[in-house]
Amino acid sequence: MSPELLNQSAVILIFSVNAILLMALIALKVIHRRRMKRHEGRRKEYLGLLSRHMSFENHTEPITEPIAEDPAFLDALIDMRNAITGDDITTLRRIVNHHGIIERQMRHLDSSWLLGRRLRAAVALAELGDETSADMLIRHLDDREPEIRIQCARGLGRIRWTPAIDQIVSRFGKEIPWVSTRFSDTLVGYGTRATWPLLAYIRINHRFETEGAVLALRTLAQIQDDEAVGPLLGILAETSDLEVQIATVYALGEVGSPQALNALDSLLDSGEWALRAKAAGALGGLGDAAAIPRLVNSMRDENWWVRRSAAAAVARLPGGTDALYRALDDDDQFAADAAAEALTDIGELVSARRRADEGSRIEPLLAHMRSEG
Amino acid sequence: MSEQKKILVADDSETIRALLQTALESAGYEVDVAQDGPSAYELGNTGDYDLIILDQLMPGLLGLDVVARWHEEGMEVPVLMLTGVDDDRTAIESFDQGVVDYVRKPFRIPELMARIRMRV
Repeated sequence: MSPELLNQSAVILIFSVNAILLMALIALKVIHRRRMKRHEGRRKEYLGLLSRHMSFENHTEPITEPIAEDPAFLDALIDMRNAITGDDITTLRRIVNHHGIIERQMRHLDSSWLLGRRLRAAVALAELGDETSADMLIRHLDDREPEIRIQCARGLGRIRWTPAIDQIVSRFGKEIPWVSTRFSDTLVGYGTRATWPLLAYIRINHRFETEGAVLALRTLAQIQDDEAVGPLLGILAETSDLEVQIATVYALGEVGSPQALNALDSLLDSGEWALRAKAAGALGGLGDAAAIPRLVNSMRDENWWVRRSAAAAVARLPGGTDALYRALDDDDQFAADAAAEALTDIGELVSARRRADEGSRIEPLLAHMRSEG
Repeated sequence: MSEQKKILVADDSETIRALLQTALESAGYEVDVAQDGPSAYELGNTGDYDLIILDQLMPGLLGLDVVARWHEEGMEVPVLMLTGVDDDRTAIESFDQGVVDYVRKPFRIPELMARIRMRV
């Protein structure tokens, strides 16, 4: 065979293979689209079926085995579960229990090698599971698939399974950030029941690893439990890790207890600008006007972020707006600028106009507004 | 013989439309459904309904905006608003627009049906 003929044959072969692959891809897409359309159609029918079961007492329309096994029926159950509450959930639960939905999904999660089926099972258990599925959900917090781990935690949070709190918290430092953040969301859902496990985790681990401890502190910040303040102050006094200090200060500010005032106030003199800035912000969250003089002083800080944070904090405190207007006359231009910026951020435009009419000197504020366009 | 009462259910959630349509029809009401704000507005404008159940968050036009338009046009059909769990402010505003009741989602079917029976 001549080289030219060989080349031509190779080109034809490559073209043919590509054409076949392209057609196969198009065929797969068409098949998939049709399958999704049929799935949607069945889901709508099952919504109607479930609606009739919910609306008529002792409704006898059968839910056959093929229906109970259909993923579209599972989707309809989940949708219905999210639309109703109270006694209606009991009715739905009767349907779920009668047809062994939970047991079937637990089998799929445990034994199927198909990722799609396992993921669907995890989502179904997260939405529909009950105490009978709790142990399995805890076991699968170590599943090889991140999304399955997330769904299992979500399911445990939805049924408020308290023994799972320690299990979830203990995995903070070992998990990839995406998963541990979702774990954190689940723990926020537990509310104050998660406070002490989180505090215990931080006390034990903050010396050895930062990421997990910081995430635990941010979780506590969202939970906003007053009982955490004392232990948080203890952690703040113990730790030398700057990230942990910053996260602890943030948590104290979010909880907002006046118990933290002195500790936060002293951090306004820290050698670390990030810590000074965070402390200033946290003082704004405490709501205590006693912090205003020190915060106004921090508006003269050498670091612009500290100045800005301090001014924003003053704006949040009772009497803070007046203090900011007074700061517009400050000899320190940076402090005056920070005050102007904070006043603009809180929308003090109408009041500024009124005060101008009353004779207050607000030129710096107006100048700032002009420069911002 | 009493006339069959007619209700419009407007919600972008297929589940809620299916559930409410079934529950209301089983209770003897005639039911129409709408899946977005504009079609809810159009259907409501026909003036044929004894009650309108309207979701607050719908594509195209918010429930509150639909009610405001009806209000401007002098339409007086009672409206029961479905709102999200943390949407108290919307609920209160909706009373000012002429909405007669509101129900938070997720809801209990018996409670919703009782509120509907009070109005129709």
